[in-house]
Formats: sequence, C-alpha cells, structure tokens
Amino acid sequence: MNRKPYQQPQAATWWFKNHFYRFYMLREASSVPVFLYAVWLLLGLFRLNQGALEFNAWLALNTSGVGQILHLVVIAAALLHAYTWFQLTPKILVLRFGNFRVPDEWVMGGHYVTWVLVTIGMLWLAITG
Amino acid sequence: MSTVHVPSTIKITVQRYRPELDDKPWQQAFEVPYHFDLSVLESLNYIKDNLDSSLSFRWSCRMAICGSCGFMINGVPKLGCKTFLRDYLEQGHITIAALDNFPIEKDLVADISGFVEKLETVKPYLIRKQEKPLSEGEYLQTPAEVARYKQFSQCINCGLCYAACPQFGRNPEFLGPAALALAYRYNKDSRDQGSSERMPFLNSEQGVWSCTFVGYCSEVCPKHVDPAAAINQGKLDSTLDYGLNLIGMAGGK
Repeated sequence: MNRKPYQQPQAATWWFKNHFYRFYMLREASSVPVFLYAVWLLLGLFRLNQGALEFNAWLALNTSGVGQILHLVVIAAALLHAYTWFQLTPKILVLRFGNFRVPDEWVMGGHYVTWVLVTIGMLWLAITG
Repeated sequence: MSTVHVPSTIKITVQRYRPELDDKPWQQAFEVPYHFDLSVLESLNYIKDNLDSSLSFRWSCRMAICGSCGFMINGVPKLGCKTFLRDYLEQGHITIAALDNFPIEKDLVADISGFVEKLETVKPYLIRKQEKPLSEGEYLQTPAEVARYKQFSQCINCGLCYAACPQFGRNPEFLGPAALALAYRYNKDSRDQGSSERMPFLNSEQGVWSCTFVGYCSEVCPKHVDPAAAINQGKLDSTLDYGLNLIGMAGGK
C-alpha cells in the first residue's frame, strides 16, 4: 500500500491560536518575574551582609520610581500565579472520606482562607515587629 | 436573546488532502443546506452524497460514543456528531480540518494508529497477581471504590485531547492525555494489582512528566474525563513510587 501521510508541523506561534493557550503562556510566564524577584531579595540579603551603606543603596533602588513600577509588575505576576495555582489545586488534591468527596470549592476556598490568614499574620509581624 | 438571521444555506470550508495528488492540504468551500438540528457530521455526509463523493472522513455511531468523527471545527477539536450548525450562525461560516498533531492520511482522516498503540502500551486491563477461582465469585467493589476511577473510564478514544495537547504536538512520543488517564484508571481500580507494571510508563520521560498542565485536553474532552486531572494526580503517584522504590517497597525498577 502506498501511503503518504501528511505530517502536520507545529508552528512556533501555536500558543497564539486561542485564548486558552494564551492564558496558559501568561500563567507560565508569570513565574519569571516571581523568580527574578526572589533573586533580587537574595541580593538584598547579600547587601545587608556587606554593610549599612550597601544595604541602604539597595533599599533606595527599591523605593525609586522604576523600583516601584517593577514591584507592581512583580505583585501582579505573583497574584496571577497564586490564582492559577489555586484554580488547579482541586484537580490534584482529591480528598475522599468514604463516599464523600470534598468539593473542589472547599479545597480552593481552604487555600484562599490560608492565604489571607498568612498575609494578615505577616502584615501584623511587619507592622508591630 | 439576539435574533440571528436564519439562512437557508451555510458555507462550510473543508480541508482536503489527496495523498496521490497533493503535497500539502488545501481548502475547498461548499454551500450546504442549513437546518437548526443539522450536525457538522450530517453536513459532511450531505457534501459526500451530493457535492463531492471523493471527500473522506471517518464516522460511525452519530451519537458521541464511537469516537470516530473528531475534527478541528473552526480550530477547536470537536466531535462532528455532537457539534451543530446552529452554533456557528453568528460566525457565519464553518471550517473543518483533520485533528491537529496527528499525521493526515487523507482529507479529514487523521492517522491515529500511534495513539492506539499508546493505549495498548499502558496495559489497560485488570492485572491480578493471582486470579481468584470462578467458584469464589466476582471481585466486588463498593460505590466508593468505583467512584475512584469511574470518571476516567468514560474515555471513547476519540483523540480530541491529543489534538488539544501542545506537548504531544511538540513530541509525538509523549504518551499523551488519553493513554495516561487510562493507565491511571486501572491503577485506581481496587480489583487491579498491576500498577507496578504500569508505573515505569508513567514515570518515564514520555510519561506524566512531559505534561505541563496546559489543561486544554480536559476542556475539549466530550465525555468530561478530565485527563489533565488524571495525569497530574499520576505525578503524585509517580513521586510516591520513586520514593518507595528508593527503599525497595514498590516492586518497580
């Protein structure tokens, strides 16, 4: 039998094809600013070790105009990353007790409640500490 | 509800590929009768019966259970029998192509043989270490035990999830959504004792770890199997299996 199947190539722009793929790429890309910010915080720790002068210079960079804009970008990326992570969690975290399966909304809700509580705790530490 | 002008015909553009004549696919437009209860599959049959008998496509049951009539319909993997012309009135046209990511055999016929081999690879049947004699009766299951795998057993092997999966598009060796969901289905079956035979496939480079949780497979699945959930729960199993094997407790290699 003479066959000649046509191999469909995957275009480099495949992820541009629909909203679902575009949002997936945005979700994955949001990890880049979060990663870079973690490196930036480590650098701050390094500067702190070097001395007050160096650390204050690092702090000044944070509060500069560009620094503030970059912080907004990072917080947007971190929020999107957390949101998409929580959306996917119930697909993996399946809890069953006998015939009862914990509803997806409870699993997701539990994550949000924990997030809010931890945030309040951190803010409380930052303000009072 | 907005009122849409109801036409007497609708334009359908069909992807053609005739291996004996063509080097790559091309588009052919047809004008077919419109009716609110006509499916895309029925309109393809209209084209074949009345307009161009050389058009090839695969179909059988017309009721979303055989899984034969998967096409890209306006770029989205769908079953032709379960997709209706009325849902495309506002767009005004329908484009039908063979499923993405598979080789095209002819026109709308995707070559799914590689996919079928992958299904067989994961040993999709009950494996017992020792069969119970018939005299002892059947293997009983509680409703809770059935619930652990039932959703993942609804797959009709239509291949829509493979057309939706960019990782399969990148790497045709990837076992892919349906095969990994099927492996998971048997691993979660209380009657089965063969998970140590399936884990090497799940653990491998082409197994669950090639999945990046795009999640579009679950979105397009016509039977709500949610293969993305099965694969990513499988990652948890794969991690546990790795850990247990480190201390020689999972019977794997």
